[in-house]
Amino acid sequence: MRHLITLLFLATPIAVSANVVETAIDTHILPRFAQLSDTSDTLASAAMDDCTITNPQLRTTYGQAFDAWISASHLRFGPSETDGRAFALAFWPDARGKTPKALSALIATRDPIAQSADAYDEVSISARGFYALEYLLFDDNVTKDADPEYLCTLVQTITADIAQTAHDIEQDWRDNYIDVLTSAGPGNLRYQSSDEATQEVYKALLTGLQFTADTRLGRPLGSFDRPRPKRAEARRSMRSLHHVMLSLQSLRALTAILATDAPHIANNLDVFYATALDVAQTLDEPVFAGVADPSARLKIEILQQAIQRIHEETTLQLGPVLGVAVGFNALDGD
Amino acid sequence: MTTRRALLKSLAAATIMPRSTWAQAGSPAYLAAAQTPTGTYVLCGLSYAGAITFQIPLPGRGHAAAAHPDRPEAVAFARRPGTYAIVVDCTSGSIIARLTAPADHHFYGHGAFSQDGSRLYTPENAYEEGRGVIGVWDTATYRRIGEFQSGGIGPHDILRIPQSDTFIVANGGIDTHPDSGRTKLNLPTMRPNLCRFDADGAAQEQYELSRDVHLNSIRHLAIRADGLCAFAMQWQGDLGQAPTLVGMYKPGAQPVLGTAPSDHMQGYAGSITFAGDGQQIAITSPRGSRAQIMDTQGALIDDFEAPDICGAAAHPDGFCFTTGTGAILVNTTQIARVPLQWDNHLVALSTA
Repeated sequence: MRHLITLLFLATPIAVSANVVETAIDTHILPRFAQLSDTSDTLASAAMDDCTITNPQLRTTYGQAFDAWISASHLRFGPSETDGRAFALAFWPDARGKTPKALSALIATRDPIAQSADAYDEVSISARGFYALEYLLFDDNVTKDADPEYLCTLVQTITADIAQTAHDIEQDWRDNYIDVLTSAGPGNLRYQSSDEATQEVYKALLTGLQFTADTRLGRPLGSFDRPRPKRAEARRSMRSLHHVMLSLQSLRALTAILATDAPHIANNLDVFYATALDVAQTLDEPVFAGVADPSARLKIEILQQAIQRIHEETTLQLGPVLGVAVGFNALDGD
Repeated sequence: MTTRRALLKSLAAATIMPRSTWAQAGSPAYLAAAQTPTGTYVLCGLSYAGAITFQIPLPGRGHAAAAHPDRPEAVAFARRPGTYAIVVDCTSGSIIARLTAPADHHFYGHGAFSQDGSRLYTPENAYEEGRGVIGVWDTATYRRIGEFQSGGIGPHDILRIPQSDTFIVANGGIDTHPDSGRTKLNLPTMRPNLCRFDADGAAQEQYELSRDVHLNSIRHLAIRADGLCAFAMQWQGDLGQAPTLVGMYKPGAQPVLGTAPSDHMQGYAGSITFAGDGQQIAITSPRGSRAQIMDTQGALIDDFEAPDICGAAAHPDGFCFTTGTGAILVNTTQIARVPLQWDNHLVALSTA
């Protein structure tokens, strides 16, 4: 009987305080996009000061701005989706190698479109953002025959374009989307109830978990017979595992906010994050090169499973609290 | 290669054996896949009254099915990214054949027969190259006899224009690879299109959606007797910017998007059908638990709520819908409810 009561209790959405969404905006979303603008500005200034691709200051600031993006990369709704801004910052995965092709074409023809950031938003989206910049800073194959002056311009333009996009996202949040997300109700065309607003944020959490498990880890893991180490995210700058950890830390923080009204569930889920982060911390696989080695692969798979477990427990425990429908077909997505 | 023995056998089957018909399978009006309460999967025949005429176990979760035009055979496709499809004798429940996708291909869950039923066409993902392919199978033996390019990435649904051997393919535009599950690999650059082919796979025409709606993945098709095709889309961008989810394509002319707003549909149409003598179209959204009824210009006539609604097909009295909660609806009225979770599609049997 006690079990039954627990189940009934869990299955009924509890009243989620309206301020969960506000807390998420104030302590999670805005600080992340502000950090992204600030670090992107610093990156663009570093490129203006010295655009040499081996400039240590350029590489350091690149790492900081990329960190800021990864920590915000699960927030894929509203301002980040307008005008394809998130795609312009992060063209990845690049399953068909479009980024190096587009960059090589620009470099080979010294395409004048790279002269200004304003014009550069017309260029192929695969040649924009952090992943394109990684090729310029860390992949000699793309840059070895480049005219140094053109390469310099390209680095300055891409970093300025990143900074511009980051500011556009932050500004759009402040001027517009805070209002949209916090004024849920019958008059709001986007969110007709506060539940819908909460669910938007919850969905970002789930999508983030899935992306890290299926894409950040799943792409290099490939299959046992056909591991794909070269598909690891940002492997040229040795950031693959680092991205998994950054995203877990960010998703853990968002989980704590969404589970504010259910402290028991908040604790449960936090333990799963701690487990996954422990596994990641002890993993000596910065770019998942070990996917082709059976014993190293096993450890990477364990990390993936730990994240899949968080996803599963989140849907089971947190989903019902937030009143999220999980229909048979609704979940299928086909 | 057909051996002499196999040829004789198939001739014998065709001429001497009493040939079974759809009537012997209980004359179902529809086919639908479902999950049972114990978690197993089945393919069912359904009557217009919502009665189950047969129920056959499936080895895994189904998606859609294709019915042979005259033999009581159905091909049940595994859910994406499944690599098998099974051909079921709907009178006995026995498995006639098992189709396996070639190496490095998977099925999308849909297929279509040629007018005479001698060929089966299956949309597939050649995922190492990220290329859409239509597999061609000989239905006497269910052997693969060829394939052709689908004209795009992610060919999901395929339909035959009635009274012809011309096929329309919905290339959804989304590149996926089984290693990363259903992760969408190319959203920034996706370009969905519709392609029309003759029976030999020669492309007759192709239309891409315009750049501003390139994130609207064309996923499912419905077709009217005169060849007018309605297509349903799934929006991959921010829901606040989701455009209409329906368009119309008359072979020989640029497709036209509807005007029905996508409110409450969560940017997602799971199924589409014509009904009402071809004067109406319905799309369903399990994510929004809502169906929209519109005219053949794609203008909204009505919409209503039903939990986890997805399957949709024509019915003598209008529309028939199925839901993930086991309900069968005619228009907005529930006519039956069974302890099954109906899967994505309700496939009308037709011999056109």
